[in-house]
Amino acid sequence: MNTVLALSGVVIKEMCRRKDFYVLFVLTAVITLVMGSVNFFGDAKIVRYLKDICLLLIWISALVIAITTTARQIPAERESRTIFPLLAKPVSRGQVILGKFLGCWLACGMALLVFYVFFGVISGSREHEWPFLQYFQAFWLQWTMLGVVVGMVLLGSVVFTAPSSNATILFIVVVGIIALGRHLNQVALQQPEPLGTLVYAVYFLIPHLEWYDVRDLVIYNQHQLGWLDCGLATVYAAAYVAMLLFATGMVFRRKSLNL
Amino acid sequence: MMDAIVELKNLRVEFKAQNSGQGRKVAVKDLNLRVEAGEVFGFLGPNGAGKTTTMNVLLGFVNATSGSAFLFGVNVCEPIARQRIGYLPEMTYYYKFLTAEELLRFYARIFGLSRLEADRRIDQLLKLVELESVRKRPIKTYSKGMQQRVGLAQALINNPDLLILDEPTSGLDPIGRMKVREIIQRLKSEGKTIFFSSHELGEVETVCDRVAIINQGELKAEGRVVDLVEKHQANLEKIFLKIIGYEPQVSA
Amino acid sequence: MRKPAPYFILVLLAAVCFSVATYLEPRVADWNKRGQSGSVLKLLLGDGRRLFANHFFVKADVSFHSGYYPSIFDQRKAPKGSRHMTAKEGEPEEEEHERQMNFLDQPKDWIERFGRHFMVTEHTHLQGGDEREILPWLRVSADLDPQRVDTYTVAAYWLRDLGKVKEAEDFLHEGLRNNPNSYEILFELGRLYYQNYHDIVRARNVWELALRKWFGQESGKKEADLLQFEQIAVNLGRLEEQAGNYERSVALLELARKASPNPAALQLQIDDLKQKIVVRPPPASSTSR
Repeated sequence: MNTVLALSGVVIKEMCRRKDFYVLFVLTAVITLVMGSVNFFGDAKIVRYLKDICLLLIWISALVIAITTTARQIPAERESRTIFPLLAKPVSRGQVILGKFLGCWLACGMALLVFYVFFGVISGSREHEWPFLQYFQAFWLQWTMLGVVVGMVLLGSVVFTAPSSNATILFIVVVGIIALGRHLNQVALQQPEPLGTLVYAVYFLIPHLEWYDVRDLVIYNQHQLGWLDCGLATVYAAAYVAMLLFATGMVFRRKSLNL
Repeated sequence: MMDAIVELKNLRVEFKAQNSGQGRKVAVKDLNLRVEAGEVFGFLGPNGAGKTTTMNVLLGFVNATSGSAFLFGVNVCEPIARQRIGYLPEMTYYYKFLTAEELLRFYARIFGLSRLEADRRIDQLLKLVELESVRKRPIKTYSKGMQQRVGLAQALINNPDLLILDEPTSGLDPIGRMKVREIIQRLKSEGKTIFFSSHELGEVETVCDRVAIINQGELKAEGRVVDLVEKHQANLEKIFLKIIGYEPQVSA
Repeated sequence: MRKPAPYFILVLLAAVCFSVATYLEPRVADWNKRGQSGSVLKLLLGDGRRLFANHFFVKADVSFHSGYYPSIFDQRKAPKGSRHMTAKEGEPEEEEHERQMNFLDQPKDWIERFGRHFMVTEHTHLQGGDEREILPWLRVSADLDPQRVDTYTVAAYWLRDLGKVKEAEDFLHEGLRNNPNSYEILFELGRLYYQNYHDIVRARNVWELALRKWFGQESGKKEADLLQFEQIAVNLGRLEEQAGNYERSVALLELARKASPNPAALQLQIDDLKQKIVVRPPPASSTSR
């Protein structure tokens, strides 16, 4: 575990020292504040559009941070050849994968926390309400979802050679799942056989990342989620993460370390 | 008989040829080697001879097709075999966002060194590789020679009994080479076992106790440097060229 | 030869750039009309901004339903038009809308069933002043596509409802400047004058104009906007009834009856008015025309 934590520490340091997070945060903050300063028919009580925009930017930023940070981890180790002194130490390839996963996931969580604090301040200053538990649930679910995304990208990084192609493909896949995942069963019913069965199989196979998008519940001050549902969603994500990391380990074990 | 620090028994490594029509390519052919404790062992051969593949087997990066390799009597397939070794690869660009101190602390953590022990070791090593004054500077600001020295420091973080160095002086200027050579000499005087590959035959002649020369995956010669020089009545470079079958084209 | 100082070259190049810019500027303005636009959005997006306008109008509708909204896979069930956004409970548009919005069937599998915990599954409309939340999206939609008239009518309806009559009037005027022939905006403006300012004269003028615009654009069309016509005629008829012009009121309600989905109800009102005419003969000279 010490090795895994040491590896994850390097990933976290990398995120802290690169400019990506800061650029995205400043961009989110500036756009939100500019939109917040717009006067819509002289009504200062209007807030939901601001929450909507801010959360959308947070979702985009978090996905960009998660995907780009993870996509470069293994290829960068191979390209700069740091993988050699690393694996020459009592470190297994599985530990490298686990360390990279944990580092990326924790780094995303830290970034996400900063974003959510900003969101809380912005919405609270307008609404004068602080539904901490609801914000925590939204944060937790998004972070859990990012765990699955990090797992997917990590697998992609040992399959695809170029980090850019991995990041592009995974970004499309993740956005595709979030946008269309919940409707695939409807699509399957409208297809002729065997396509219908195939689409239905994909529907059951993909991780349903759209569950973790509870922005509407937060924006429109809807009911708080049940903790049991939150827990089950976490278990579901953890199962996918385990499967993805296992698959990554299997591929990485057979992979040549030279690029 | 002394315990071997490095031992290769009938080691054979085959790869699938890049061009599928050629079948399988043999990188190492039934190699047998022993390196004893406290030796500085030079592993020589032209490019593509199988040096790096052999080292990769020792470090667990590549699996042997047949035969076996042992470090301290432990099969290299076990990660624990690498607990007491240090490895300096050729041309590595360490995490450029870290400082030398942070990089060494990271590797120290992997070996499970306590904070106090890690601090002591880091101070010691940074002094050894003469990077103390720049310990807080990010590695991206280092020259190539400094990067190679920080690489050497990371290889020594666990105070290893065996050092595996892959072309440690390649690409360095004369001063950089001299500094690395001095460090190797100091480690030798401390009784460390050093297994290293190099194309700098003059350097090998100066530093090594024993050498092995391989060509096309096969062991062509092995022995003490002094014995080889005496036997062939030539310097190591000439011996090397003769063994690998290179005939110099002398113009009239 | 002595080389010129780098600063001198830099100043020279800057002077050349400035001269070329001042020479070209008047010509460049003619090349592209976009550059003359006062709107930043028009400047940035050109005519492509209309594509986004619809998105933001739908966004207002989504906001109006607090996130409960059909996806593209339910589009055949999606709300058509914008009238449900201004319809009161019990009105025919609202009942039809309730049917349309009943798009969530029984879950087909456990994934769908579990997934519903994480989304809005109840059809509600904003209320209690929260309707203001749709206004930013409508404002943006109007900026992107000033020719989309229902943006102005829906926004003005809710602005009036929120007590922001002046803002509603200004927004409708803006809509009229961009769509001078829109009978919908004229109708909404008339409602504002009639219901908020109680200004019968201005309301009558605006509605009369709306009727003329409607006839000019819609009469003779195969699928004419009869619902809007009926609304204008009925409202104008009631205004005339309030003003004591029963004959004019009857004439307008007769017109409305022909376009109404519920002519019987209007016929009752017409009969009632006719009785009033019999009981009390019309004044010698009308208060208005």
